[in-house]
Amino acid sequence: MADSHTSTRQEATAAPGPGTAPGTGAALAPGVTWHRRPGTGHRRRTRTVRVWVSAGLVAAVVLAVLVVPLLVPLDNQSVDLARKLQAPSLSHPFGTDEVGRDLLLRCVYGLRVSLLVGVVAALVAVGLGTAVGALAGALGGWADRAVMRLVDLFSSVPHLLLGIFIVAMFRPGVWPVILSVALTHWLSTARIVRAEVLSLRSRPHIDAAISGGASRWRVAVRHLLPGVLPQAGLAAVLMVPHAIWHESALSFLGLGLPAHEASLGIMVNAARGSLLAGAWWPTLFPGLFLIVPTLALAGLAGAWRERINPRRRSELML
Amino acid sequence: MLELRDITAGYERRRPVVSGVSLTVAPGESVGLLGPSGCGKSTLARVAALLHRPDAGTVTVDGVAAPGWRHRAPRALRTSFGVVFQQPRLSADPRLRLADLIAEPLRATGRRAQASAAVAELAPAVGLTADLLTRRPHEVSDGQLQRACLARALVLEPRWLICDEMTAMLDASTTAALVAVVEAYRARTGAGLLAVGHDRTLLERWCDRTVRWSDLAGTERVTAPGEGPAAA
Amino acid sequence: MTAPRTTAPPAPVLSVRELSVRFRMRGGHHVRAVSGASFDLAPGSCLALVGESGCGKSVLASALLGLLPGNAETSGAAHLTAADGAPAVELLTADEPLLARTVRGRRIGLVPQSPAAHLTPVRTIRAQLEETVRELGGGPAAPAAGAARGTSAARRPGRRAAREALRAAAERAADRAAFPLDHLDRYPHQLSGGLAQRAASALALVGDARLLLADEPTTGLDRDLVARTVDALRAHADDGRALLMITHDLAAAERIADHVAVMYAGRIVEHADAATFFGTPGPRHPYARGLLDALPGRAFAPIPGLPPELGALPDGCAFAARCPRADARCAVRPEPSDGVACHHPHPGPPPADAPEKSEEKGDRRARTA
Repeated sequence: MADSHTSTRQEATAAPGPGTAPGTGAALAPGVTWHRRPGTGHRRRTRTVRVWVSAGLVAAVVLAVLVVPLLVPLDNQSVDLARKLQAPSLSHPFGTDEVGRDLLLRCVYGLRVSLLVGVVAALVAVGLGTAVGALAGALGGWADRAVMRLVDLFSSVPHLLLGIFIVAMFRPGVWPVILSVALTHWLSTARIVRAEVLSLRSRPHIDAAISGGASRWRVAVRHLLPGVLPQAGLAAVLMVPHAIWHESALSFLGLGLPAHEASLGIMVNAARGSLLAGAWWPTLFPGLFLIVPTLALAGLAGAWRERINPRRRSELML
Repeated sequence: MLELRDITAGYERRRPVVSGVSLTVAPGESVGLLGPSGCGKSTLARVAALLHRPDAGTVTVDGVAAPGWRHRAPRALRTSFGVVFQQPRLSADPRLRLADLIAEPLRATGRRAQASAAVAELAPAVGLTADLLTRRPHEVSDGQLQRACLARALVLEPRWLICDEMTAMLDASTTAALVAVVEAYRARTGAGLLAVGHDRTLLERWCDRTVRWSDLAGTERVTAPGEGPAAA
Repeated sequence: MTAPRTTAPPAPVLSVRELSVRFRMRGGHHVRAVSGASFDLAPGSCLALVGESGCGKSVLASALLGLLPGNAETSGAAHLTAADGAPAVELLTADEPLLARTVRGRRIGLVPQSPAAHLTPVRTIRAQLEETVRELGGGPAAPAAGAARGTSAARRPGRRAAREALRAAAERAADRAAFPLDHLDRYPHQLSGGLAQRAASALALVGDARLLLADEPTTGLDRDLVARTVDALRAHADDGRALLMITHDLAAAERIADHVAVMYAGRIVEHADAATFFGTPGPRHPYARGLLDALPGRAFAPIPGLPPELGALPDGCAFAARCPRADARCAVRPEPSDGVACHHPHPGPPPADAPEKSEEKGDRRARTA
């Protein structure tokens, strides 16, 4: 085995070397070709494209719902039965609905309401969940058990049913819907955050902090919370589309927003009759406005999840 | 004097990993605790550092019986221990720069003002350059990170050092360097040391006295190497 | 340039030439994790690649397995040959499907650093072994056994025969790694560290790979277990496999290796026979000597200073800043000669041993040819 070098040199030279011929000693010369693994770059590019498309869509949606209402006011009273259920055309790109209103404008306004509900509800739900979960995980013992039994209790009721119950207690409007969605969606975040806190708590760096004299408060705020915030942020982003769908579901059932509001759920509901009459556009366009932004948000959340995965953090393997 | 008496500890009540173990470290003494992996010696080290509450037994530090563990131990008692663990990656908060990592105990105990001076003094002692101090844990090697973790353990000038497999992940040169740092600190302050490890050559070279895990009283549940616990 | 030998030496299983790996970092600069590594690995021999953490040895292993992250670039060659006339594989340029299908597990067995993390906690060792056997096509003897049984009456019971063959193949694999057969139905958490390591080795051996790559197989194990793990690995090498062990544990390297390659700052600075390296006259490169002297069984004295950053390597010898022998000449990087890349090496073994050193000579020839 001590003499294997000589015999293999020919074989090595015959091999399809990536750049310089092996054994020439020129690998360190300036002219050396570097070789990247095939496939990896492609995968990375696909990921980048996905992220940028998602980000572009989300930006477009946010821009649209912020700018369009400044330019074109939504006149709910602009009912014009003479123009009802017109197919998409140049003057009405998305067509008109069953009372002759422009669908494009109503979709943008509907998305605005949905986004508002979705973002606020997701933030409230995740904030509540993070607080409860972190508290349970950090305190442990009976406090943990009590809180988690409460979570179990809430979870045992179907959350759409619970949501309907909550909206039913108020007059129709945006805020009852937000409250209803928020109060039914903090449970999963609480569970995730508690599990994360529990796993962090047993890590040696928390031991080291305690041994270094850190108080309970300091351990919780400086060492545990920053560890769970990326998870909580991810949960919030994932929650937004979910909350949007909930708002739409409630509105579709006639329990959410008042009927005159431009909400995507109300629009889909109202379009049911027209669909039977052969008009597909009042269903399709509000539906697309629901689906595309939620997919874009999910795409962004996926990229974030990959980012906070510690395995991907370091570019250099040491 | 650090006295562990009749310690029984574990993570499930019915299956203690340490049962009825007693161990004493005299002031200024260095004791090596030698045992196979997974025998419970790390658990004993955490009990000694007041980081794991035992199911039974007492820990007495310089004549004072520990009233509790983790946050239930008074801060002054907790901080009289400097602890270094086996895996530097897990013992360092990934968000802190090395300088902040080393200074964290000072900040946690309200001595923020001394932080920069202490770091400036300790970093060269453990062999860290100024450039490394500005990096986060994922930007340095295991050996460099362990140097920072040792500096963090020393920054409050503890009277006792607990080194749990401190050098198991490290190469020979870094091992020798870290042991030299610990010994220099002990020579200056007279601190006692409990070094837990599996490398007999290392512990015998390093410590005044080496105790084998299997020789400690009451440890009947020592699994023979090569046999699973279920094989017993 | 004449071949020094008349008896044909065994062809190496792995032949690495001027292998370099660099990482493209944000901002466009590069970090050179491995620079110009060359070595050969013959069947039946063990090369220990030693060095401190961050010296590039794990990156080298990942490059051989095609497991580098996306921002890595390689140059040079790493040639994996086959015994039975199967085509050789150029590991650095092979695409991922080829590596996944024919190389990892089949032609290179990986003995992992942490068997506990490598084994699936929810399945028994037997289930994991059988799955691997199935995935890898049953190893050398299994298909034959299945075919022998599946002749006439085996149209129906062919399934059962296959299952028995699978079971037998899994048990053979366990046996090869000295894993006790009565422990096969246990879950990983029911095994001691040593047995878990053997289970992982058994998995690595299923494909009957001619090259075993062990990445820090002894980290965190106690001395007895290190000895046992290392002896088991050595036995696999003695069976005719080639073994590349990456480790920072010099004691383990001493126990197992035929050759030692010392890595420092991404370069192999010394490539020597294990007997002369650990015995007399000892390492020739000052870094290798310092590393050995740091052992608690020897001087227990650390090498002063820290290794240089791979992103900011000096133009000259990377070790000069820490070297007691450094002088003005060290501002120029020493080319490897006679197995040592140093301007002021310690004396090597006496010239009587010269034939034994043909490997280093071959190495140099490969470079200067």
